[in-house]
Amino acid sequence: MLDLLAQTGLNAVYAASYISLVAVGLVLIFGVMGVINFAHGELFMAGAYAIVALYAGLNVPFFLAVAAGLLFVGCLGLLMERALFRPLKDNPLGGLVASIGFLMILQALAVMGFGVRMVHIPPVTQEVIAFSDKVRLPVARLYVIIAAIVLLSALWYFLKRTRFGWALRASAQDPEAAALQGISITQTARVAMFIGAGLAGIAGALTAPLVSVNPHMGHSVIVTAFIVIIVGGVGSLEGAIVASVAYALVHTFVTTFWDGVLADIVGLSLMLVVLIVKPTGLFGSADRA
Amino acid sequence: MISKIVKSGLTRRTFLKSTAVTAMSAGLPGASLAAGNTIKIGFLAPLTGAVAAWGKPGLDGCQIWAARVNAAGGIKLGDGSYNVEFVSYDNEYDPAKARTGATKLIREDGVSFIMMLGGDTWPGVQPVAEKTGMLFSTLLPSDLSPDTNMLIAPAEVHPIYNVTGVEWLAETKPELKTAVMCAQDDALGLPSVATYLAAFEAAGIEMLDEPLLFDPATTDFAPVVTRLISKNPDIVCLDTCYSDYVHPIAEQLFQQGFKGQIISCTADFYDQMIAKTSEDFMEGFVFQFPDFDDPALNGDNINFTDPNGFYEEFNRRHPGQWGAVSWEYASIMDLWKAAAEKAGSASPDAVAAAMKEGKGKHAFGDADWWGTELFGIDNALVGDWPVVAIEKGKARIKDFRSIPAWYAKHGDLLVKHMKAYDQMWDQRS
Repeated sequence: MLDLLAQTGLNAVYAASYISLVAVGLVLIFGVMGVINFAHGELFMAGAYAIVALYAGLNVPFFLAVAAGLLFVGCLGLLMERALFRPLKDNPLGGLVASIGFLMILQALAVMGFGVRMVHIPPVTQEVIAFSDKVRLPVARLYVIIAAIVLLSALWYFLKRTRFGWALRASAQDPEAAALQGISITQTARVAMFIGAGLAGIAGALTAPLVSVNPHMGHSVIVTAFIVIIVGGVGSLEGAIVASVAYALVHTFVTTFWDGVLADIVGLSLMLVVLIVKPTGLFGSADRA
Repeated sequence: MISKIVKSGLTRRTFLKSTAVTAMSAGLPGASLAAGNTIKIGFLAPLTGAVAAWGKPGLDGCQIWAARVNAAGGIKLGDGSYNVEFVSYDNEYDPAKARTGATKLIREDGVSFIMMLGGDTWPGVQPVAEKTGMLFSTLLPSDLSPDTNMLIAPAEVHPIYNVTGVEWLAETKPELKTAVMCAQDDALGLPSVATYLAAFEAAGIEMLDEPLLFDPATTDFAPVVTRLISKNPDIVCLDTCYSDYVHPIAEQLFQQGFKGQIISCTADFYDQMIAKTSEDFMEGFVFQFPDFDDPALNGDNINFTDPNGFYEEFNRRHPGQWGAVSWEYASIMDLWKAAAEKAGSASPDAVAAAMKEGKGKHAFGDADWWGTELFGIDNALVGDWPVVAIEKGKARIKDFRSIPAWYAKHGDLLVKHMKAYDQMWDQRS
């Protein structure tokens, strides 16, 4: 039983890692730009396909391909900011609708480029850290966990300890007041979009060898991310991380000790309970809810 | 579940669908067929999405079949010879889209017959079938009921043939005493769960746990696998999981240190599974779908023209894409063609009547129209089915087993488990 608990705990840590990378990116974009990016799951998918193209297709070393995937998806984020969100910033629903259109375009491009079916990616490593016969952590999953810890810590430092981070937070809290202080709202939006998209991209790139890479893979990821940011509080980075961990723990343990269908019901119920008890989410503020 | 909730509110794949199908159509043979001298056959299956592996390769197989038949002079009916042309519609494994597709294929394209994967999509199509009298085929006899007179299951008797794999495993490896199972919670997974439960019970293999059901939207299978192997089973059964699930589950079994027996309905693209695990790990993996270069398919009992040549041509056109259904829709077309030529007509009623006269020429041997007890109607063609195992990295047929013979001995168990999972024809709404 202890082994089962330990293995389930490791599974939950992995799940929390990639969910939090995606959810924090989504929250960052919403916090700074006020846009719900429906195409965020497809940015995750784009990161995975970067690995298909570079690592599986061109034999580029895996971590170089991951870095390229991060840059590529970050640039996709910049493109979205310039072409979609900036022209529609005064239209409350415009950004949301445009992002839905963009996700369809990304899916269609994936289909045209790579086909409709699951794509095979050779394993990066088959090494496994065996704590015991029954408690094992594949090294490929450890990469995702380490990346999440490093990147989210770096993001926390950037936002809390650097001048540009302060500017970003100021733009999120009160764009007009920030602009009066000389902060470029356009510049902060660009940076937020690049970082937010890049986080989704690197999550997709790192998990690509571990999941089924297909044009629709972003769908379930975005659903999970939305549950997480609603529970954590829309606009709260801390909330997104805490909720990712909570959701991953609940979902993983319920799947392991009951079944996967019930885990989905429990996850959604958790969201409903939080919304009933605290409509702004665990860490959300009323003005962003 | 969650995906369905979201999908119902977001029809975001329409653009994707049209793009994908256009892209696919561009690669099809551009044989010029004289209008009025062509029979059109509808292909209504998932060509995109998670279930595409059981649609798209079937369409690819049909194109090879059409090229062969047309080159040999076409289909000979009472009033002359006809070339055959396939018209496809991507239903994305969505009942509403399947209904739209069926209507379009019948009214706009004028098809004479429609082939489907079936499953979750059949309820959407059934009203169209009743209204038009069109002849449909499914790969999933669990779609059949007394109300489906014009629905036939002439190639695949999913999930009933899964009993043959378990029966063979129990006879050849009697040391395997315990099993666990997982499946996606849908119309493909659940009847298969009931079938495997019956097969394990008949074989005296103990289920250590209730079958673990997961949402079709699942992407991370580590928790599923942790649960599956927590009780040290001899056998892990992957039911009729889609290939998008079989691959990551197999990889997780490998990474979490499972060293026992795996049995699965399918093992599409098993070479990729070997690449992600190891040849040793996959050795002995049992499933139900052979590669058609298998020497065992050259016997006199096989009613599929030149299976080895078909496999070679398929791999020439679509390298690395051979899967469970690559031959199945083509095999249905063999039966349809024979029936149409016998009836001298392509009309759905005439073909259906001719097809069901006497024994049917199933791909794996002569078979009987069967199913009243289980499906409420004798519209499934049931006979022998192969048991396949991976040996040194290659799928090999180990045996052909009779499904009716198993059912004669253990049919009550199958009915019991089907009822427990609400999968009998009179329980399905």
